[in-house]
Amino acid sequence: MTATTPPLVSIRDLRTWFHTEGGVARAVDGVSFDIGAGETVGIVGESGCGKSVTALSILRLIQPPGRIEPGSRIEFEGRDIVTLGDEEIRDIRGNRISMIFQEPMSALNPVFTVGDQVAEVARVHADMSRKEAWNRAVEMLALTGIPDAETRARQYPHQLSGGMRQRVLIAMALMMKPALVIADEPTTALDVTIQAQILELLVELQKRIGTSILMITHDLGVIAETTSRVIVMYAGEVVEQADVDELFAKPHHPYTEGLMHSMPHIGHDQERLNVIPGTVPAPTDWPAGCRFRERCPYSWDLCEREHPPLYQVGVAHVSRCHLAIEPERRNHPHPPLVVEEGVAAA
Amino acid sequence: MSGQTRDFAPISSPRPRESPLALGVRRILRARSSRAALVVLGIIVLAGALAPLIAPYDPAAQPDIVALKDLPPSLAHPFGTDPYSRDVLSRVIYGARLSLLIGVLATLVSLTLGVAYGAIAGYAGGLVDALMMRVLDAFLSIPRLLLLIGVLVAWPRLSIAALVLFLGFTGWFGLSRIVRGQVLALKHAEFITAARALGASRRRILWRHLLPNLVSPIVVAATLGVAHVVVLEAGLSYLGIGVPQPQASWGNIIQDGADQVAALWWMSLFPGLFIVFTVMTLNILGEALRDAYERRS
Amino acid sequence: MLRYLARRLGQAAVIVAIVATITFALIHLAPGDPFSAVMDNPNVSERVRATLRAQYGLDRPLPEQFVRYVNQLAHGEMGWSFSHDRPVQAVLATALPNTLLLMAIALVGSFGLGILIALIQVARRGSTTDHTLSAISLFFFSMPDFWLAILALLAFTYWVPLFPVGGAVDPVMHEYMGLGARIVDRLWHLALPALTLTVLAAPTVARFQRAALLDVLPADYIRTARLKGLTEREILRRHALRNALLPIISLVGLSFPALLTGAFFIEKIFAWPGMGLAVVNAIGTRDYPLVVGGVILGSIMVTLGSILADLLYVWADPRLRAN
Repeated sequence: MTATTPPLVSIRDLRTWFHTEGGVARAVDGVSFDIGAGETVGIVGESGCGKSVTALSILRLIQPPGRIEPGSRIEFEGRDIVTLGDEEIRDIRGNRISMIFQEPMSALNPVFTVGDQVAEVARVHADMSRKEAWNRAVEMLALTGIPDAETRARQYPHQLSGGMRQRVLIAMALMMKPALVIADEPTTALDVTIQAQILELLVELQKRIGTSILMITHDLGVIAETTSRVIVMYAGEVVEQADVDELFAKPHHPYTEGLMHSMPHIGHDQERLNVIPGTVPAPTDWPAGCRFRERCPYSWDLCEREHPPLYQVGVAHVSRCHLAIEPERRNHPHPPLVVEEGVAAA
Repeated sequence: MSGQTRDFAPISSPRPRESPLALGVRRILRARSSRAALVVLGIIVLAGALAPLIAPYDPAAQPDIVALKDLPPSLAHPFGTDPYSRDVLSRVIYGARLSLLIGVLATLVSLTLGVAYGAIAGYAGGLVDALMMRVLDAFLSIPRLLLLIGVLVAWPRLSIAALVLFLGFTGWFGLSRIVRGQVLALKHAEFITAARALGASRRRILWRHLLPNLVSPIVVAATLGVAHVVVLEAGLSYLGIGVPQPQASWGNIIQDGADQVAALWWMSLFPGLFIVFTVMTLNILGEALRDAYERRS
Repeated sequence: MLRYLARRLGQAAVIVAIVATITFALIHLAPGDPFSAVMDNPNVSERVRATLRAQYGLDRPLPEQFVRYVNQLAHGEMGWSFSHDRPVQAVLATALPNTLLLMAIALVGSFGLGILIALIQVARRGSTTDHTLSAISLFFFSMPDFWLAILALLAFTYWVPLFPVGGAVDPVMHEYMGLGARIVDRLWHLALPALTLTVLAAPTVARFQRAALLDVLPADYIRTARLKGLTEREILRRHALRNALLPIISLVGLSFPALLTGAFFIEKIFAWPGMGLAVVNAIGTRDYPLVVGGVILGSIMVTLGSILADLLYVWADPRLRAN
């Protein structure tokens, strides 16, 4: 975040709650962060931490019983997305902010050609004729590295491989040269070799077009390769935020530590994979105090009493952990309080 | 590794055992439309069952063949009288009894045949199965009404029992397909292999594993099947090859008024309304059952 | 594609063969003799009785009768209709086009109407409109075909004389009309029967299509469409419908039996000179050869119809077209 230019997207106290029969699931519970122009910001966390819901909330794609709670603010290009009218939000979707998902297999409509679907974006937002839109679509497809784009555009999704379909979706997302592209686990469903290609493509296209990317993933490797700033989410909250190098060098929050620790290293001799014991609590029932407390090796009584705010722990580095005010406790780890089913804590 | 180990509960279902039938009934009672349908259907069924008690007149009685002929609805005869001077309301009530009875009995015949045919085909597999399915396809390609017309014209002056049988013989095709599908799926299901590995006999497998899975499609098919037969019987009676005169069935009553449809409009309207409401309620219940079972799996 | 067609036609031939066997069994298993009404009736001409004997070889052993029967069927001969004093196939051939016309219009009309209703219901799912339309659909779905026909006849020809009472053309004046007037006359007579059959068939389509649309809506590609900034209406009409139409095509094949039996009743009540009227009248006169001929022809129509529908399905789904 530079001090001079205003951020592209400014999210303040975003709360997206799902009002179900079984209770209110607070999937996103007070998340705030900024995305600068031309920046690639990553959100990392395990399943259920609220990162995907955050992404969907930015584009107001939350369906009932989910709802963006009043008091949330998502500022984009001078307007608050949360309070925009239907027509205005549709104007933004696919045009100023677009999104890529992780399921390229099913994200394309099987009965239309690939070219038609990409061209559709232009026909909706720019007043292009069929021919013009088609030509632009083919251009974009070629830009994403699809060989023989003209022929491919006339094919149907089932005739393309997974990697190619993802490229199609990227082309679709970039058609109108949006200011922000949200990529929700864009490579998870792909083969490892293709993953690398797609990530490279995203980075390259970003530089070329100058768009910002919000990269959502559970994979620290992806974070390391593509982002410049990282947000770590847990239990519906931001628990740490830092520039990527700082985060990898000096992770502060015990959860981040655990994540880094659990990454297997090639060449490293390990008998068992490191895991963070326990599981994420249920979103209908966030515990009072620190939500990571029961799985944390450093927690103490303060953690149960007080919900930690985001402490400043370095340059552009915040962490939601009381260790910021009692750092010496890091030298006295203890077994986590949670007990796994049928197995005692190690 | 010392332990705070959890108690392992004995291997059993977590919920009290509930027959699929009871489960289905309980589920459908939750929806308002199902409850309303059940009430309306109940009234019609009750009327039919208690026909001798509640019909104002004898459905075959012709007390005054001149003065009481072709009368429009009035207080004395709420549904009017027919060309034979009989009270239409009474005939409609008795018609409920007969039409519903035919519907239920014919459906029972269909169910038995359908389950038997499908189970045999599925279990036998191979060439026998293929042949049986081809024959089934042939039957399925003849519209049911046509098949019945073909049969009933060849056998004139049929008794109601024979009519029930013929209706039943023509209504099992769809169900047998479903049953066969289930049998095939279950034949190769892992838990069947496990059961056999544990030494379960074939009959035991059939009883404890197969039949419970068949209950849902059978119950749904039965409910919708009765609706089909009611409509079919009405149609056949209207064409003159269904329930023999002078017995009162809904279709027969409409046929009695067919020659003077405009003048004797009450003879077409009232029995038809009863048919529609019976079929509607049966459809609502059948579909509610189907939804209830599908959600469960 | 051609190989698929050939295979299906082969299967159809087998099915028709089995149907022929079934009808043969019906003819001969009936108590007494289905032709006794003819054979023992002194009023029926000797020519008719002789034709029947020749046609069915009634004094010959059963297997020989069967072979003869199948052979003649293969040549398109279906026996003699004594109530019309013409070969059965001639009677049916004249009547068939009228039935096909009725069915074709009802097919197109019911699918159009049904899909429209389903779209409205899904666009407003959960609302009062949705529930009301569902109830109305169910009401018409539960009606016996002949009852709606009777009511339509009462309502629109007797009480509010908008349409003619029956027939395909005006029985007296049609010959003397000019071409334009004749076309209008035909259309005017066609209108009510076709409309009635359409209304009878539409609810099935509406309910099916509504379910198909609701099945499609949670799909990922619908979410993609939303991401592109399309309106809900555009999403429904362009993306959802196109996918939900595929299962509907299989419904086309399945509708043929219902349309055919519906046509039977409609033709009787509106005196529409089609196959249905011919068969229904044959019931009354116990003209058994005509009844059997109608049954066989009906089965052939249904079988061919379902093949057509299958071909349509393969053509419509790009995923299948490749194979």
